[in-house]
Amino acid sequence: MRKTTYILPVLAVILAAVFSSVFIVDEREKALVLQFGEVKNVITDPGLAFKIPLVQEVVKYDDRILPLDTQPLEVTPADDRRLVVDAFARWRIQDPVQFRRAVGAGGIETARPRLERILNAELREVLGSVDSGAVLSADRAALMNRILVQSRARASALGVEIVDVRIKRADLPEQNLEATFERMRAEREREAADEIARGNEAAQRVRALADRTVVETVSVAQRDSDITRGEADAKRNAIFAEAFGRDPEFFAFYRSLTAYENSLKGSNTTLVMPPDSEFFDYFKTDTPGK
Amino acid sequence: MASNNGGPWGGSGGDDRGGQNGGGDKRPGGQRPNDPQIPDIDQIVKKGQEQLRVLMGGGGGNGKGGGPDMPKITRGTLGLGLLAIVALWLFASFYRVDTSEESVELLFGKYSSTGTEGLNFAPWPVVTAEILPVTRENTEDIGVGRGSRSDEGLMLTGDENIVDIDFQVVWNISDSRKFLFNIAGPRETIRAVSESAMREIIARSLLAPILNRDRGVIAQELETLIQQTLDGYESGINIVRVNFDKADPPREVIDAFRQVQAAEQTRDTLEKRADAYANQVVAEARGTAAQLLEQAEGYRAQVVNQAEGEASRFIAVYEEYAKAPEVTRKRLYLETLERVLGSVDKVIIDPSADGGQGVVPYLPLNELRNNSNSGGGN
Repeated sequence: MRKTTYILPVLAVILAAVFSSVFIVDEREKALVLQFGEVKNVITDPGLAFKIPLVQEVVKYDDRILPLDTQPLEVTPADDRRLVVDAFARWRIQDPVQFRRAVGAGGIETARPRLERILNAELREVLGSVDSGAVLSADRAALMNRILVQSRARASALGVEIVDVRIKRADLPEQNLEATFERMRAEREREAADEIARGNEAAQRVRALADRTVVETVSVAQRDSDITRGEADAKRNAIFAEAFGRDPEFFAFYRSLTAYENSLKGSNTTLVMPPDSEFFDYFKTDTPGK
Repeated sequence: MASNNGGPWGGSGGDDRGGQNGGGDKRPGGQRPNDPQIPDIDQIVKKGQEQLRVLMGGGGGNGKGGGPDMPKITRGTLGLGLLAIVALWLFASFYRVDTSEESVELLFGKYSSTGTEGLNFAPWPVVTAEILPVTRENTEDIGVGRGSRSDEGLMLTGDENIVDIDFQVVWNISDSRKFLFNIAGPRETIRAVSESAMREIIARSLLAPILNRDRGVIAQELETLIQQTLDGYESGINIVRVNFDKADPPREVIDAFRQVQAAEQTRDTLEKRADAYANQVVAEARGTAAQLLEQAEGYRAQVVNQAEGEASRFIAVYEEYAKAPEVTRKRLYLETLERVLGSVDKVIIDPSADGGQGVVPYLPLNELRNNSNSGGGN
């Protein structure tokens, strides 16, 4: 029993020494082993690692891609319009030794504002060199790339790699919003007026075409009808000519008789005549011929 | 779920999502607790922790020296204790993974393997496991429920108009290892990347196509762009789809847009009415034309028939006449005059008769007319 009273504390001390000299570096981390502030070892591979207890201490840094969101920033592009730009970056600690040197004991929390300053400066510089149109529209991807390249160069001094910079928002300032809305309204009103005008135009066109079609159709029909009537009259004449041409003298006689009969019909005619027409040949004498 | 906790290292109960408990130091990127443990198990675990602490003397924390602080132990309690330790160890080392999940096993913090569904073994405390819901679809709503003033939903188009956009990004974990180890704050990253991508696409486009027909195209493009960016981070995130909920003009100008729609309707109405008018008058004209033509045809038939009748009548008479011209001619003349004079008022004056010169041919024309009008001869 007395043995154990010695063994147990010794065992405990040994265990404690082992536990305090062994540490785990997670897959998500990089670690620095510092000896009185001096970097003795850099551990980038995860797994078990060792240090001298009490003398050395371990500083761990997140090895993942870390977020960085900046506050909305007002920039002035080359054409002096003001834009509100909201960007973000993604970054990771590439060189823990340099990172440690650059930011000291503060770590990531100290690094963030410094990165934000770098990012804002590059945003101002790059966006200030182009027209606002380029920022607002098509060239955005190229601009983001320029900002990324420039800020990456500056951030490498911190031992930091900037993975990506993206412009989240590039807008006109709040004061311009109402003006933009007003312009949008005006454009819509123009469009509405245009629609109605075009509707009227189309309607008028259709009506005019219809009226024209009416006139054309009717006149064509009128023409055809007159042609037909003319043909009919011609045919009539031809028939008569053929028939009456056989004996024009008899026709004259016959037709005259028909005409007398038709025109002197009825009792509304009073005829005053001498009784010496052929009709009355036998009226005075039984042997005409005088 | 993460049932491999319960040692002194997982002092907080260790039921974080992903159940990370190696290293025992602070973890960045606070994860929400989920999958709350069944209280019974919790108690058992707690009890186990206490026993362990007692047995191991609280050692094992990194850098924390543990002094021996043993109570008096009998053989029986020692045996029981050992048994309990083994049981607890087994209990802590086995864990289950659901169909929808995957686990990542870390050997002293270093990635060793990926566990699939079923019962998995991670010998505590050497190996720790983190469970991730890989097939579960997560959604991020962007632009929804914006305040009255400009917020993330209001975006500027290429022609400097403003459009109000809501969309939803549905994502899951495609590579649990990358997801876990490469990126801090995945949700914030997805949100930021999505908004940035959407604004970039909207800035390239004009207003009208966004409002009308290009939504499918934009959703497609957006999905590709988000996925590309996230792949650039090696984030292990898969964008399942992008739901393009809303692309409207901002409410400040929506009335003007409605007016345009109304104007479009008006235009349509005007055109339709004109068409109706055209249809009506053109049809009427066709009717009139048909009428004219038919009338002409009728006229033709009438005239020709009449002529033919008259001609054939004449011919018939003439043929008879030709046989005996003198007699027929006389007869026709007399017959006609008979008919004519028979129905006519007649005054016959013979100027050659005696005293004929003396007759003053006084004609009371009005009287005659009256007589004839009042119905007949004397």
